[in-house]
Amino acid sequence: MFSFFASTEFQTVLSALNTGFVKTLQLFFVTLVGAVPLGLVISFGSMSRIPPLRWLTKTVVWMVRGTPLVLQIIALYYVPGLKGFHIWSGGESGRFTAVAVAFVINYACYFSEIYRGGIQGVPVGQQEAGLVLGMTKRQIFFKITLLQMIKRIVPPMSNEIITLVKDTSLARVVALQEVIWMGESFMKGNQGYAGLVWPLFFTAVYYLAFSGIATILLGKLEKKLEYFH
Amino acid sequence: MAILEVQHIEKHFGDTQVLSDISFSLEEGQALSIIGSSGSGKTTLLRCLNFLERPDHGAISVKGNVIFDASDPSTQAEKDIRQKRLHFGLVFQNFNLFPQYTALQNVTLARELLAKERGGEGKEDIAKAGRELLDQMGLADRADHYPHQLSGGQQQRVAIARALALQPDILCFDEPTSALDPELTGEVLRVIRSLAEQKTTMIIVTHEMAFARDVADQVIFMDGGVIVEQGDPREVIDHPKEERTKQFLSRYANG
Repeated sequence: MFSFFASTEFQTVLSALNTGFVKTLQLFFVTLVGAVPLGLVISFGSMSRIPPLRWLTKTVVWMVRGTPLVLQIIALYYVPGLKGFHIWSGGESGRFTAVAVAFVINYACYFSEIYRGGIQGVPVGQQEAGLVLGMTKRQIFFKITLLQMIKRIVPPMSNEIITLVKDTSLARVVALQEVIWMGESFMKGNQGYAGLVWPLFFTAVYYLAFSGIATILLGKLEKKLEYFH
Repeated sequence: MAILEVQHIEKHFGDTQVLSDISFSLEEGQALSIIGSSGSGKTTLLRCLNFLERPDHGAISVKGNVIFDASDPSTQAEKDIRQKRLHFGLVFQNFNLFPQYTALQNVTLARELLAKERGGEGKEDIAKAGRELLDQMGLADRADHYPHQLSGGQQQRVAIARALALQPDILCFDEPTSALDPELTGEVLRVIRSLAEQKTTMIIVTHEMAFARDVADQVIFMDGGVIVEQGDPREVIDHPKEERTKQFLSRYANG
């Protein structure tokens, strides 16, 4: 058994999967960095006092949440090119950009609904208390509402974040070389190996490890926010 | 001259008229109690004074300056309202303390934000003033507690300190003891009573009749959005003239 872990086959596959998983992580973090703030903007849109803006935002959220992410990735990557707009550069970097844009939009829409629930869950009395103390709307949001909202959204956001780790594998549909793609490559043939089935299943170890770490970190954040009710 | 002058205030929510032709004035250093059954418009009136609601008619003046006139849009500019709100403090029925801040931070937060904008007081001075206010509320040893670690009566006293921190001209109380267990109302009423003794100008919406009679210099009885009777508390509460006032007060006497 231990001799297998030392074998060239294992070492070769491991290093390929590592490379793939770095791509997975890049997609994961780029999505988070983009979707966390964009989701906030969308949630403000869906709570806007201007009806057309509210309807527009809600329609977009409905369309994005109502269709499969995999379809959105395919559409975003291929449709511009089919229409003669070659907005994505060729090769792996173009694929990554297109996929990242699809992920950011998709996840921002899901996040926006979580935020909306979080913001609307903060009692209106909190805002009124801020107003009578002469605070601006901006001060009220950042100094009072935001942290209470974060506390409320940590559990549902944790769910989404764990889902996101696994959803990154959908990028495989446009052949982005993330960890699943790498695992599969050893079935088809890669670096002199072909017909290997285990690398694909071995990718589960990466997902499990990563979602395990994410669970622990998010749990810590939840604990940290337990100091107030 | 009266510190507060309220003239012909009216307020509708849709088709429902919640306030009609409300007029009264308040002298500096005096306490005004507003009594009346639920739905009589007392809370809406306080909310109008604090610009949480906007009256449909009427005017409000503080120290002789018109700060709101429904017929004069120039008195309603959004950017000035923030400033005008600071004439009033409001203590809510449900305290509405900020749960993520300690008692002291609740008291100092708004003053720090204002000082940051305008310059002036340093953080330490504000904290010192905040501790003094909490001390005055009998909460010196609770300064670093979070709201959920405090009893309802303590939370309400923090809320009073928070309102006082901005040194409002007029401090408003919206049923400050209604959300409290009966055994906790005393500590809050004591604090308000001591504020009255220090000649804090106050408007107190309350269901505590004995308290209203003892503490207030003036009482207003409201019913159905109008002022039915107003005057000296001993007159209004002990010898009401109006039938509606008598009926309302008899419920307390019998209850």
